[in-house]
Order: sequence, then structure tokens, then C-alpha cells
Amino acid sequence: MSLSSIARLTGAAALVGLSAMAAQAQTSGEPIKIGAIVSATGAGAGLGIPERNGLLLAEKDINAKGGVKGRPIKIIIEDDASNPDTALSKANDLIFGQKVVALLGPSLTASTVAVGGVTHPNKIPQIAFTGIGPAVERERKCVAHVLPPQRLNAQALLEYAKSIKATKVGVLHDAGYGNVVMAELRPLADKYGVKLVAVEKFEIGATDTTTQAAKVKAAQPEAVFIIATSATPFRNVKQIQIAQPVIAAIGSSSYEYVNAMGPAADNIAIPEFVVGEDPLPHQKAFVDLYKQTYNSTPKNYEAAAWDAAHIIATALTKAGADATGEKLCEAMKAPYTGVLANYNFSADDMTGIPISSFVFSKIVGGKYTRTPFRVAQ
Amino acid sequence: MTLSLVLQAIFAGVTNGIVYAFVGMGLSAIFKGSRVINAMQGEFAVIGAMTTVLLLTKSGWPYPAAIAGGVLAGALVGAFIEVAFVRYMAKKNASEDSFLLLTIGLALTLSASILFFIGRDGHLLPPIGGEGVLLVLDAVIQFHALWLIAIGIGATLLLRAFCHRTTVGLSMMAASIDADGAATTGINVGRMRTYTFILGGLLGALGGILVTPLISVDYTLGLNLTLKGFAAAVLGGLTNPLGAAVGGITLGLVESLAIIGISSSYKDVVAFSVLIIIMILMPNGILGRAGRRGG
Repeated sequence: MSLSSIARLTGAAALVGLSAMAAQAQTSGEPIKIGAIVSATGAGAGLGIPERNGLLLAEKDINAKGGVKGRPIKIIIEDDASNPDTALSKANDLIFGQKVVALLGPSLTASTVAVGGVTHPNKIPQIAFTGIGPAVERERKCVAHVLPPQRLNAQALLEYAKSIKATKVGVLHDAGYGNVVMAELRPLADKYGVKLVAVEKFEIGATDTTTQAAKVKAAQPEAVFIIATSATPFRNVKQIQIAQPVIAAIGSSSYEYVNAMGPAADNIAIPEFVVGEDPLPHQKAFVDLYKQTYNSTPKNYEAAAWDAAHIIATALTKAGADATGEKLCEAMKAPYTGVLANYNFSADDMTGIPISSFVFSKIVGGKYTRTPFRVAQ
Repeated sequence: MTLSLVLQAIFAGVTNGIVYAFVGMGLSAIFKGSRVINAMQGEFAVIGAMTTVLLLTKSGWPYPAAIAGGVLAGALVGAFIEVAFVRYMAKKNASEDSFLLLTIGLALTLSASILFFIGRDGHLLPPIGGEGVLLVLDAVIQFHALWLIAIGIGATLLLRAFCHRTTVGLSMMAASIDADGAATTGINVGRMRTYTFILGGLLGALGGILVTPLISVDYTLGLNLTLKGFAAAVLGGLTNPLGAAVGGITLGLVESLAIIGISSSYKDVVAFSVLIIIMILMPNGILGRAGRRGG
């Protein structure tokens, strides 16, 4: 290579560098690396893809607002293919290979528990896109969660039942997510004075739950809870003409499921957090930016990932980019008003979301509408 | 347990049973004609249903034409798989396990391609006969489900007539019972095998299209259908497509009656215990003996 061509290349490199700096306006210096693991493929892709969108948007937003004390952040996103083993090896690579300062994700509980086994002993702050899972997670004081524990989801269902004065409730739930929520729902129901008149289970991926729905109908409930991650039970409930109000757990709140429900989605009530069609005032900026960027309406998982990225950026700003994991952890443990909810990571369940953070939506003509009902703290 | 609940369970059982039967019949038609256990039979259903959805919503075809297009797509994919893979492997005397591996691979590939090209969303088709329902003693059955049952029974009878009355059908049967013997009488055994794949693809696609107004079709549906269809086919006697129909309805009914009789938590335990007992008492399946005689 001749000297002149080297000079030309250097000049070009300088130009590229300059234009990159112009695009990022206020940030400069080595980017702070943050790792993220999502389930972009496999069974959890319905969570992982929205989460990835939320992360990318948050990275752009944080850097546009000056990054962490002027230094840009770089979120390195990996896909665990909905597999805890893969999540673990990706976490090892991010922590020890890429030397990230913190880890966001994963999308699924099993993967979160697996990854916590690395982040916890190595004192790497982690913010998982799950609700707190098995007992071991309570000891992991630096693994925060941006989604509510299943107990809170169960409570939200019962709060809504109470608001419509339903005391006899039938439940249709799947054998995975549904089972976990159900375990929390049973003891809580008594406290709310709700009698579970029929509890029917179906396997994950069941193509028909008509008979279970018929059993629920025969028990003559005043409302029906559906705790599932598929559209099938919702369609079956309408097919056998259950006219009572249907309340769905947050797991089935996505456009994908609502589309698959077709006309059966109408009038279903869902306790959740983000209604993109009618956001709460503090959610509006995020929803507008999301719509502008992706040309679609965000829901809960996009907001959860967005919050996680902002929480870690806030902690980094407070503790300094070179702070140890422990210091960063301490900085994280403060109340934080997010788009999804109000968090407090010093709470026992590592999330601190109050029930008052829930909003209750209803599906009307395939679209979410926010109802005025909220639970007072 | 009330009468209307039992009736509701029977309606659901028969409806599901017919869906299992469609997948099972295709599976057993292919097994009978080629000794290939087709682990991608449920994928034919997804291909048929997805093609119909796309023709109907994206290309604006009238519904009957879109259904015909979907069925044709299933048949074409069936033919393609035989010509492109099975024929070549059969020439090399591939073992039954290799064929099984081939179809498992194809199932995963097709499912991933649907995810990549069409997306994650579930799709629905409009019900045949409208959104209406028939009310019998408080039990509900959709008009579409009645159509599904009628078409299912019709398809089973047609299949039987095809195998017993038409020259092509009889040649296919002959080629499957004794390939060498059939070849000596001038039957093109290779072509007959292509026909069985076309038949399997056609039945699978038709089943998929008919189920899509009831449950939404997405890229993950195939494996579920294959498993149920396989259970139906084995229960009825894997070598007899008619047996798969009987097996499918048996499976559907046992499943739904187990839910009301015992508990939905033990549905699969009860259903599969019954299946195991049937298989112990009738190791060749309910209609397995008839299958040996040619169905």
C-alpha cells in the first residue's frame, strides 16, 4: 500500500469518525458495554422480540440524551433460543469475554434462574424481564425483576373480579404459566371472598379446550379467569357461549394472541401495564417514540426492557461507569418510576411493583382500550 | 355430571377426533404406500391452511377457490417431497430410520420457513356455514364443526372407495402390499409411491384448512397435529387409513370424556391409559387386521 493511499484511508477514517460523533451529539469516549439476553427465537420469541425492540430503542434514547455522564452505552444483545443452557453460555461469554458491566434479561424464568447462577456469585447486576421465580431467587439480591411476581398477577385478577362483584369464579388455565399463577391464586381467593367454582386445566399448545370450558360453564360462575399463553381457550369460551365476563391474565396480552382470538377477543378484560392506544401521561413519551420508530404499538414487554435499560443507565450515572458490581447494585436499589410500573428493588421480591401500577384494559374490536378502573395502593 | 355436559364432551370429542383422523389418515396412507413414517404430516395441514389464508386475504381469491388452492398446495408439496427426497433415498435402499429422520428434518425446516416468511401470527379462516351454532339440550356445536364432521366422513368414504374401486387405487394398494409382485404385473411402483405422498399431502392440507376456523393456525401447529394424528393412526392400525379415522374419533372421545368423567388435570393420563389398554388387547390396532387384507 502506498503512502498516499494510507493517507487517503486515514482521512476517510477520520471523516467516518467525525460523522459518527455528529450523530451521537453529546456522547464521547469508549462505550460502556451492557449485556442483554432475550429469547428472540423459540417458544419465548413472543416475549424476546418485543424486548429486543425495547432495548434497542432505550439504547438510542439514552445515548441521544448524553449517555452515562457523556459516555455512550452499548447494549450487546444475544439470543438464548428460549433455552436455559444457551442463556448460561451466552451469559458467560458476555460477562467474562465481553466484560459487560451488567446483564439485562433473559426473557424466561428458567433462563433467568440459570443466568442468576453466574451473575450472583460474580456480583454482576442483573435485571431480568421476568417476575421472581423459585425460592433461590430471593437470595440473589442483585438480580432485579422488571415484571411482577405471579402473586401480584393473581391479585390483580381478583381485584378486577371484586370490582365487578363476581364472587363465584371459574378458571381455565394451562399447565405451565397457568399452573404457577394458579398456585398463587388459590390461597388469595379466600382473602378476596371469591369462590373458585371450577378450575380446569389444559396442556400447553392444546388445540381444543371446549370440554374444559363446558365444565366451567356448567359450574355457573359469575366471571371466568383465563390464565394461558394461547388464543385457543378464549375462542372456545365464546364458542360454547359463555356470556359471563372473561378476565385474562397478563400472559395473553399481546396483539399476536388478540389477532388469533378473532371476534372472541371482544370484551375480554386484562390487568396489565401499558395500553399503547391510550397510555398514561408518564408512558406517553415512550409510546410515541416507539410508534415513531417501529410503526407499531408497544405493549408490556417492550416497556419492561426499556425500563431495565434506563434503570441500569441511571445506576451507572449514580455510581460511576467504573464502579464495582456491588456499588452498582447498591445504586440500583432505589425507588424508580418506570414506564411499566413503579419499582423498588430493595423490596423483598426484587421488584417492588405495587398493585396500583396495574391498569385494566378491555379489548374492543380487536383494539385495547384502557378502563378507568385502578386499584388504590 | 349433566346430560348437556356429556353431550358437549361428545361434540368436542368427535370434532377433535375428525381432525386427528385427517392427519392420521394421511400418515397411514403414506406409511402404507411407502413404509415412511411421515413426521411432517401435521406440516401438510399448516401448509394447506396457510396457503388458503394467504390466497383469501392477500390475493383476494373467493373462499372455495382458496380452499382448492390450499389443498393443491398440500398435494404439490407431498409430490415434491417424494420426487426430490424419498425417491432418491429409496434408490439407495435407505432404512426406515433414515426416512423418519428426513421427515423430522423437513418438519422443522418447514416450520422455520413459515416463521421466517409468514411470521409468528396465528391466522383464522371464516367458518363454513357461517358463525352460527346448533343448540342441543344446552350443548353447543358450531355449524362449521358439523361441516367438518360431514366432510371428514365423506373423505373417509371416498378414500375407501378410491382404494377399492379405482384402478389407480388398486394399483397403489398392490404396490404397497408387494412391490416386486406389483412391478411384475406392470405397475409403476415408483409412481404409485408419488401418488401416496400426493394423497397424504391432500388429506393433511384439507384437515388443516377445515380446522382453521376453529383454532388459529401458526407455524407451531404442525407438530401437535402430527403427534395426535400419529396416535390416531397407530390406534386404528397404521397400515389402514380407515383405521386412522376410527382411531382418531376414539382418541378424541376418550380425551374429552376423561375431562368430564375424572378431571382435566388427569386428561392425558386417562386418555393414554385407555390407549395403552387398547394396544395391549389389539396389538395391530383397532382395524389393523383389515389393513393387512388391504383396508
